[in-house]
Amino acid sequence: MSGIIDVGTARGRKLSLAERLYFPGILKGLAVTMRHLVRNLVRIRNLPTILYPEKKRDYSGRFRGKHILTTRDDGTLKCVACYMCAEACPAECITIVAGEHPKLAYEKYPVLFEIDMLRCVFCGFCVDACPKDAIWMTRDYELAFFNRQEAIFGIDKLVAKPGLPVKDGLGYRPYYPGDGTRPPGDASSSPVIPGDGERANLREKGIDLHHTEGPGPLNRTF
Amino acid sequence: MSTVEAPSLAPAAEKLRERLERSSLRGRTEVRDLDLPTIEVSPADWLELARYLRDDPECRFDLFLDLAGVDNAKRRGRPTRFEAVFHLLSVSANEHVRVKVLLPDGAGPSLPTVHGVWPAANWFEREAFDLFGFDFPGHPNLRRLLCHDAFVGHPLRKDYAPGQRWFFAEEDLRMPDWASNTDERAGHFETSTISIGPSHPATHGIIHLIARLDGEKIARAETQIGYMHRCFEKMAETHTWNQVIPFCDRLNYVSAMINGVGYVRTVERMLGIEVPDRGRLVRTILSEFSRIMDHCVNIGTNLVDIGGLTNFWYLYQPREGIYGLLEACCGARLTVSYVRVGGLAIDVPDDFVARCRALLESIPAFLNDVDRLVTRNKIVRNRLAGTGIVTREQAIAYGFTGPVLRSTGVPYDVRRARPYDFYDRFDWDVAVASEGDNYARYLVRMEEMRQSLSIIRQALDVFPPSGPVDSDDWHVVLPPKDAVYHDMESLIYHFKLIMEGIRVPVGERYEWIEGANGELGFYAISEGGAGPYRLKPRPPCFPMMAAFEDIIVGSTISDAVATLGTLNIIAGELER
Repeated sequence: MSGIIDVGTARGRKLSLAERLYFPGILKGLAVTMRHLVRNLVRIRNLPTILYPEKKRDYSGRFRGKHILTTRDDGTLKCVACYMCAEACPAECITIVAGEHPKLAYEKYPVLFEIDMLRCVFCGFCVDACPKDAIWMTRDYELAFFNRQEAIFGIDKLVAKPGLPVKDGLGYRPYYPGDGTRPPGDASSSPVIPGDGERANLREKGIDLHHTEGPGPLNRTF
Repeated sequence: MSTVEAPSLAPAAEKLRERLERSSLRGRTEVRDLDLPTIEVSPADWLELARYLRDDPECRFDLFLDLAGVDNAKRRGRPTRFEAVFHLLSVSANEHVRVKVLLPDGAGPSLPTVHGVWPAANWFEREAFDLFGFDFPGHPNLRRLLCHDAFVGHPLRKDYAPGQRWFFAEEDLRMPDWASNTDERAGHFETSTISIGPSHPATHGIIHLIARLDGEKIARAETQIGYMHRCFEKMAETHTWNQVIPFCDRLNYVSAMINGVGYVRTVERMLGIEVPDRGRLVRTILSEFSRIMDHCVNIGTNLVDIGGLTNFWYLYQPREGIYGLLEACCGARLTVSYVRVGGLAIDVPDDFVARCRALLESIPAFLNDVDRLVTRNKIVRNRLAGTGIVTREQAIAYGFTGPVLRSTGVPYDVRRARPYDFYDRFDWDVAVASEGDNYARYLVRMEEMRQSLSIIRQALDVFPPSGPVDSDDWHVVLPPKDAVYHDMESLIYHFKLIMEGIRVPVGERYEWIEGANGELGFYAISEGGAGPYRLKPRPPCFPMMAAFEDIIVGSTISDAVATLGTLNIIAGELER
């Protein structure tokens, strides 16, 4: 607990003559922008903007993008059509029709499994709800369609291609020690402040990212 | 560490009962002790009670927080079908109170307007008229607010089927009556009425401002909203408690994390469960980062509106970094859905503290750049200082909270007034200013960002490197996946939680936290079902938007745009 700080007092200070003239103000502003310009030119790799689509932003291993349905070793879907993902979905975008699996050991499987990508809010509740580790999310976020029908993904579009990881890598999925997986720890593939290598810069400056004291007392200029 | 809980409310309710017994309202009210002292009153006595509550020197409930209609059609043990639930705040005594006006069955639900007691009630009453069909005799402009004029029925009544659609054509748009009249008195410029919006870059959302200009000055204005209304409250009633979390992200989408925290806190308090310290610290840290983000967006876009584009880039870089942090924690940048009732969706990554520290390292540089460019800049001073002035009395009467109220000199901050999580353990200052103009709001927000950085730094210092983030109550929190896959009992818990949802005890609760632009409250009623019986957020920018049409009278259009920016209107939260 602490006190109250009155920031209004700063305004009581009258603007100095230099501040009241437009020209010094313009120069001061230009100095700031020029400094940014020069810094960006010198360290062009650290530009905060990304030249999409040639370059793409890296997302962490928790990214909630397009879904995939995982498969067993023999290529059949792990999904047992229990409807739990459809029930957990706040957007009501999952449609499942269950059927009897020809293979006796698997009992039940989804004849139809559709996700309406236009309704989906990418909250990851279906992944949390699945008791069979059958639905994961990927880092594939480029979902654009020419018509609404295309946006309804059936099993053919959702099933994981053999040989994971899929195209853009895996995103949000249940992590549990029994599988030997654990939540992605260092998610440093996505930059701290945009511009690749900002973290490397901070390390170069000798800042131990795990034990910094922070920048000291706050810089109060007003 | 443990939270300081609000003191037992029984003495407060008892005090209120005694006061009312001594007043002229003796015997006509009933005080109950729920989570807040709750007064029940009939519509005939409501206006008198309202005046008493505002004016009595021992009460001084001067800030109107919220009005929530409730339809009791499917609720047990309530005397009437409809009730209007008001939440009031006494800024000086730092007390909340709830008033329930019980609307008798029979004739249509009707209660007197308290627009004259608290001007803030204006739009809240229009909303209740719109969504519940309550009549407020004496209200100056009782028209639909969130639903459009071609809408039929009152969507939040329990007998309204949620799937219906009502189509709106351009000819259904109703302009205010005064808009077609011109004022051509001698000595006046010819007046003209203009529309700004609904889709206009300066409105940062879809807001329709109709203004009558007398020369360059605005002589009269009216705002029409509802273009982004999606009836969050009806959706909440048709979903389970956990399913509401993604919808909360879409209230104030600029600082989505804070909404989620506010909502799940309400549910957690109803359930009476505790979240481990580590989980609460993560919530605190990410909420403060979200606050920084919200202020960055607000100041950045506001400066764009008044012609300073450069700052926008400098302020959006910290925001980008914070989005990176949120994405690394939960997998989404904007609509995070990171909190769950009882904890978090998933533990933070191993490098969480390091990433936060790196952000703390880099954010001040951007703030300082903006500070150097803006704070003592003559143009900015001329544009912001002395425009959009709201006095302390006005701000309270209009129901303002957050940075806008603090910029008028009232140091009301929920994090200080009723500390939740660990805010009472940290050393930080409430930023206030006294002038109440646009410049004061800018200064308050700049300082709040620095205070938030300081809070985050202190939170990181005590952040436990490992430990649970979730409550271990499997009636509320999903069991760990490992157990679900291999253990029958856990699978049953998992199944029950997904298929049936959390069972929240019957009752009601109003919980409030400090959102990025003011007091964000959630009023929830549970009837023991899988989802909320009624859920009403108290959106902090709603009363500000309501007051906007009064604040800008007498100013120019360009000043109105600057004022709209500093009030921080977020359409997702405004229209729910």
